[in-house]
Amino acid sequence: MNTAMTRVQDFQSRLQPIGDDLVRIECTDEQRIQYAKKAFMHKIDGRKAVDLDSCLQCGMCAEACHFYEATKNEKYAPVYKFRLLRRFYRRELSPMRWLYKPFTKDITISELEEWGHLVFDACTGCGRCDMICPMGIKISTLIRVAREGVAAAGFMPADLRVIQKEQLENNTMFGVGAAELRQLVDKLRADGVDVPLDKDGADVMLLTSAPEIQAFPDTFAANARILNKSGVNWTIRSDCFEASNAGFINANDKTLDAQIKRVVDRATEQGIKTLLISECGHGYQIMRWEAANELGKELPFEVLSMPEFMVQELGEGRLALKQQANGASVTYHDPCRLARKGGVMDEPRAVLAAMGFDVRETPASRRENYCCGGGCGDYAIRGAAKLRQKAFAIKQREFDEAGADEVITGCVNCRFNLMVGAQNAGWETPVTSLVETVAANLAD
Amino acid sequence: MSLLEFARGPALEWSLIIFCFGLLWRIIGAMFLLRKGDISKPRRNKPIRDGWTGIISRSAPAEAFEASIRFQHITGYAWHIALFVSVLFFAPHIEFFESVLGFSWPNLPNTAILFTAAVATGVLLALLIRRATHPVQRLISNADDYISIFVVLVPLITGIAAFAHIGARYETLLAVHLLSVELMFVWFPFGKLMHSAMTFPARWEAGTQFGRRGVKA
Repeated sequence: MNTAMTRVQDFQSRLQPIGDDLVRIECTDEQRIQYAKKAFMHKIDGRKAVDLDSCLQCGMCAEACHFYEATKNEKYAPVYKFRLLRRFYRRELSPMRWLYKPFTKDITISELEEWGHLVFDACTGCGRCDMICPMGIKISTLIRVAREGVAAAGFMPADLRVIQKEQLENNTMFGVGAAELRQLVDKLRADGVDVPLDKDGADVMLLTSAPEIQAFPDTFAANARILNKSGVNWTIRSDCFEASNAGFINANDKTLDAQIKRVVDRATEQGIKTLLISECGHGYQIMRWEAANELGKELPFEVLSMPEFMVQELGEGRLALKQQANGASVTYHDPCRLARKGGVMDEPRAVLAAMGFDVRETPASRRENYCCGGGCGDYAIRGAAKLRQKAFAIKQREFDEAGADEVITGCVNCRFNLMVGAQNAGWETPVTSLVETVAANLAD
Repeated sequence: MSLLEFARGPALEWSLIIFCFGLLWRIIGAMFLLRKGDISKPRRNKPIRDGWTGIISRSAPAEAFEASIRFQHITGYAWHIALFVSVLFFAPHIEFFESVLGFSWPNLPNTAILFTAAVATGVLLALLIRRATHPVQRLISNADDYISIFVVLVPLITGIAAFAHIGARYETLLAVHLLSVELMFVWFPFGKLMHSAMTFPARWEAGTQFGRRGVKA
């Protein structure tokens, strides 16, 4: 077993010892239902109303969902996953509610409990269903609201609630905080890699993530090498380095906004020009596309993913790569939140091509790419492990059809999930990181 | 007042009034719920182009999805084309539209219309059977789905019956056909037939929201 896999398994062990008793919510069933409805009411705006009113109930979205495809369980059809929200809309908010209400069943506690499985274990919020809908309904956005209601009712998996509590209260994730970052930085400095920790007056502030520090320190080191090579004036802050956001994963606005505010305040205070997101798909989506809307103000800095940054630096000649791949074949796995949710699809391929790789696409790639199966916190839900493994079989089939020597991705969560899936399936194609590949090919 | 006079007179007027007011009520009610503008910095700022892209691109599935939804794709087109040809190019229908709009257009031969009406009826029955038997569609379907199919199927069947003079006097068949169309008008704003009006704002939103992120809707 290689070092990366050993670290992944070590990180995986951190996800295990969670006591459900620590996070049990005590309230009546009626209160739970009211909490869910309040969340639904809060989040249904004109856009979602049009989407909810437009659904044909054609069921095509099922064909885009990796969990449905892997199991043929009809309850995993995305349209079914937002059914509670649609019923609530028809009863309480629709312009036709006066007609619908007597004929539309109210939400029950047993349904909320059942939906805990459907919207957390069986949905990674990947948004592939958004791409198939003939009406253009943003289905994953509706499921996210359903998730928010289910979470408010207290039916989110305990594993995720623990993570949320930890980030909100301790500013750490999976036990990784400032001390762990410093430890890694010290080790890298001893190895000759400069990491400007807590440097004032930097232009670029890097966000990394707990899985990167814990399971993929080579990815973190690769970021540092690339940034140092490009000569940019950068830093990483020990009190504000986390790109992951448990509030986003759990559809909890309080935690989501607190974490966004923490980052935006720190970056603004430091006067940085660019917020750079390491290999964290949802971290990029949040800061690039959601943060301004959540805070209700434009961000005073630009937000870039590492692939965007590398293309920028290559284009301006501050970064050069060795063409040493000699046509070796790779497949790029598009992280959902970088690609169809973030618009970063050309850049990783451009970087790989600049190193001389033969980039082979999976049958479904770019905006139609299949999710790794573990996004949006799913990889941390113990009860969803078997389901994830079934979904991994789709990725394995896709990668095999592409037939490349190696799979490269730009998200540590995707990489983690793909590596665990591959290990369980006995599938031996290596799954590596884009920035690590770039760092290994930096020209002098 | 005969049944036909009723169908041509008050039933038609009231059904159209309910249709128009219901349509406006539902569109305005849904679209005018509060919404915040997106203030994230767009990667591409071409909302008009992206909106049209959304409307057009969702008319056909992406290549990666085509194989898995071929049945719905083909039947969807077959159903809509056959229906619109039957409604818009049948000579008596054109006469009716001319009486309302003041202008007309060429009609298709009756045999062609009979064929398209038969295709529309057959496709709709196939979709009904699929809805009742496919595990996902059976699970998600509600009364609205079945009522909507019923109120569209009946005008087709009564129209074919009136055309072929099957089952009753022509005047009676015509009255029943008109009443069935009026039933569809009445149901239209309340059920999922509304998708024909909502398609455009929904696809437009998809186009602009994905477009500003640099993703084709």
